[in-house]
Amino acid sequence: MADKRKEPLSEAQRQAYLDRYGLTPAEASYDILIRMIEDMFADGLKTEVEPLPETDREFGRLLDELRPLSADQLREKLIISGWLLEPYGEEQMRCQECMYYLVHKRWCDLPELDLPAKPDWWCRLWRI
Amino acid sequence: MANLLWLQGGACSGNTMSFLNAEEPSACDLVTDFGINVLWQPSLGLELGDEVKAIVEKCISGEIKLDIFVFEGTVINAPNGTGEWNRFCGRPMKDWVKELSAAADFVVAIGDCATWGGIPATAPNPSDSEGLQFLKREKGGALGAGFTAKSGLPVINIPGCPAHPDWVTQILVAVATGRAGDLTLDEFQRPRTFFSSFTQTGCTRNMHFAYKVSTTAFGQRKGCLFYDLGCRGPMTHSPCNRILWNRHSSKTRAGMPCLGCTEPEFPFYDLAPGTVFKTQTMMGVPKDMPEGVDKKGYIKLTAAAKGAAPAWAEEDIFVV
Ligand code: SF4
Ligand code: SF4
Ligand code: SF4
Repeated sequence: MADKRKEPLSEAQRQAYLDRYGLTPAEASYDILIRMIEDMFADGLKTEVEPLPETDREFGRLLDELRPLSADQLREKLIISGWLLEPYGEEQMRCQECMYYLVHKRWCDLPELDLPAKPDWWCRLWRI
Repeated sequence: MANLLWLQGGACSGNTMSFLNAEEPSACDLVTDFGINVLWQPSLGLELGDEVKAIVEKCISGEIKLDIFVFEGTVINAPNGTGEWNRFCGRPMKDWVKELSAAADFVVAIGDCATWGGIPATAPNPSDSEGLQFLKREKGGALGAGFTAKSGLPVINIPGCPAHPDWVTQILVAVATGRAGDLTLDEFQRPRTFFSSFTQTGCTRNMHFAYKVSTTAFGQRKGCLFYDLGCRGPMTHSPCNRILWNRHSSKTRAGMPCLGCTEPEFPFYDLAPGTVFKTQTMMGVPKDMPEGVDKKGYIKLTAAAKGAAPAWAEEDIFVV
């Protein structure tokens, strides 16, 4: 069965973005992307936080899933990366200390995500 | 005049190619300015067949004084310890190597294969290869742990895949001009003058290392290659960013991670899929820390560095 997450943005999804924001994620500015992400979580989005990728192979598999996604597939990116709007785990891992985080730009520089992020957010691709 | 004989075992000739690229001094300068008499070298020697055999036999008998014996490539022991897979002048190369090493004043192993086995000795090591005095980290190798050449020095190891031409020529010149006494060797018998500092010493990405900004693709100008692309610069002993390649660059300067080719374990993780050009992590924390740094310290340092990183560290500061 085809993985639904990899299908490009459906017409209904596109229209939903246009109705709410006047544009889709690929065209959105930093602030609108942040709003889109926060709105999705406010609307109850659940992401795939577990299993955490323990090894580089597992890490690589997640990247392989993310790579074909387009900039418009924001929701899918968040789900696959296990994105959260708070720090994670006992050690309170968060974007601020992640190797991919550009602290001044407040941006996730992991090419497969390439999204704005707040310092206290986190995803399972975190690495230090 | 110092007589030098250079032979090759299980090798790709990369160290010969590197040596022939030497400048200041060049391979020719070694002969004309530094009095090195190249008795024979696989790419330079004019003699063939029995003529080569005669030279080698004379070196062993003492008829020709063998000052420096250079070996490139592994000592091959397969099949079943006979060394028959690598025959040279009618005998297994491993037998020539033992006899020539016993006859020489100095024995110099050039490249990873000759020093500790390198790529040919990677598991499962089908050719049963080893270095002259090491197999990976384990001392012993083809000549045994206790071997010393007539000069009293053990094998001088100049690792690298390949070794930089200057590392080779400068050691050969030191030995040929009677300055071998100035050489100090580390625990892996590498000349300290080249192998005390790290690849990272002099790397143009050190600021990005300090501020924990990662390079995320080959050739990128910003960022450090340690965090994602598996750069081994902080734990590899080499002068690659002090003595530049082709006099103007290095792997890490060009945006390519150091593979740690001067260390005995090279190639790391036995080249298992996913281990090359990829920082190996466990739950997001690198398995191989910069030398002397522990995990706790590393995490603390990262938090502090990220908090203190200036905005310019996120920009491409190397404008063409
Ligand atoms: S990879 Fe994940 S944890 Fe790291 S900066 Fe990006 S979103 Fe944050
Ligand atoms: S690129 Fe490699 S050698 Fe250079 S600073 Fe980073 S870790 Fe060190
Ligand atoms: S940069 Fe690293 S891999 Fe490259 S030659 Fe130097 S030590 Fe070897």
